[in-house]
Amino acid sequence: MNGPRVALAVLRKDLLVDLRSRDRLGHMLIFAALVVVLISIVLRTSAADARGALLPLLWIAFLFTSLLGLARSFQAETEDGAWTNLILVPVDRGWVFLGKAGANLLALLVVEAWTALLAVIFLDVDWTRAPGAALLAGVLGAIGLSTLGTLLSALSASARFREFLLPILLFPLILPVLVFAADITGEAIAGRALAERSAGALALYDWVFLLIGYLGFDSLVEA
Amino acid sequence: MEEALRYAGVGLVATAALTWLAADEARAIRSARVAGVLALALLALWFGAVIWVAPIERAQGIVQKIFYVHVPCAPVAYLGFVMTAVGGIGFLWRRDAHWDRVAISSAEVGVLFCTLILVTGPIWAKPVWNHWWVWDLRLTSTLVLWFIYAAYLFLRTLSSGTDEARAFASIYGILGTAAIPFVFFAVDLAQGKTLHPSNPAREGLPASMLVPLLLGFVAFACVFWYLFARRLEVAKLEARQS
Repeated sequence: MNGPRVALAVLRKDLLVDLRSRDRLGHMLIFAALVVVLISIVLRTSAADARGALLPLLWIAFLFTSLLGLARSFQAETEDGAWTNLILVPVDRGWVFLGKAGANLLALLVVEAWTALLAVIFLDVDWTRAPGAALLAGVLGAIGLSTLGTLLSALSASARFREFLLPILLFPLILPVLVFAADITGEAIAGRALAERSAGALALYDWVFLLIGYLGFDSLVEA
Repeated sequence: MEEALRYAGVGLVATAALTWLAADEARAIRSARVAGVLALALLALWFGAVIWVAPIERAQGIVQKIFYVHVPCAPVAYLGFVMTAVGGIGFLWRRDAHWDRVAISSAEVGVLFCTLILVTGPIWAKPVWNHWWVWDLRLTSTLVLWFIYAAYLFLRTLSSGTDEARAFASIYGILGTAAIPFVFFAVDLAQGKTLHPSNPAREGLPASMLVPLLLGFVAFACVFWYLFARRLEVAKLEARQS
């Protein structure tokens, strides 16, 4: 069995679990809808210039929603004792990480598309002004969140108080993703050119954390 | 640029020296006595220089003297965080619990100095800027840095003393260091301007201010060395007990 096939198998397994149980994704979608509705209502009661805070708020909403899903990304393995079987796979365990992160990425992209749609309906956000840049921000942001989130979720999976631990570990490290992604989407919505500096930094950040995740996961499992 | 390289060079030398010292745990623990004596002597000198040599700055008054505490804390805190990553890499590479003890000891002392930065800064800023806190590049990135390593310490208290938990913490320590440039860049993007005074050398300090400052750097580095060595000793005793 070679590495990419292992990654694909893990990804396929996680997607199947997500699609069949609908627990994780379903809860995330409902949660995202609730947060966006709350933001819309609260913004309506505040001053008009608060609408400028809309896009950063959407990214925060997305972060909180993805936290729900990420926290559970290793739950099935740890609860059902499948962890040992998973890591006995005779390839570099980094591929298992890539499969896991890939499954999380797809789930986050679904949640993101849903959040974007809700923003159109409730908050009159017009993504068509720069669809390419908005899409780029969405994909790069989701990659950063899924790689870092998957790695940290693996780190905290067996710890006590893991529901506290994951956000405390994740939030300070994810700050750059939020800032860069909010910058790109903000420029896109304002109809300005692509914020190349932010896009480049975000892509580099994704790459560094993908690399640390790939290398780190193996030594994590080894221990 | 030249100045940045000089800072990086000094940082690299300090990291290399501390890594060499930490490579042999017994040597590092033994060195606590030397470090303690040096730290005490240098702290006395530094204190005297701050009180009697350093002038009272004309515009800011006595509150400016916080500068001699605040500024030397910064490189020492960074040193602690870099050593956390060094310990993490050492552990993942050698699988020797002693490197993990190096990581946790330097993280703890690093967070202590980072806390000092965050406490002394606002005390100075309130009379001078008329605000305890502004969302400025240096302040924000230091705060985020503090959160990253406080999270590291939190992780350590929650995880058991298994090799798995050590590998977890090592990876997080390395992640934290890798994230620092991005945090800096992201905050820069979010603010676009800085209120914080630039690095001291650029302003051409008079000797009466430069001497206490440089003494501060060396004295605080020795304090770090001493606390690090003692914390390492505690960690070793804990490991022996369990």
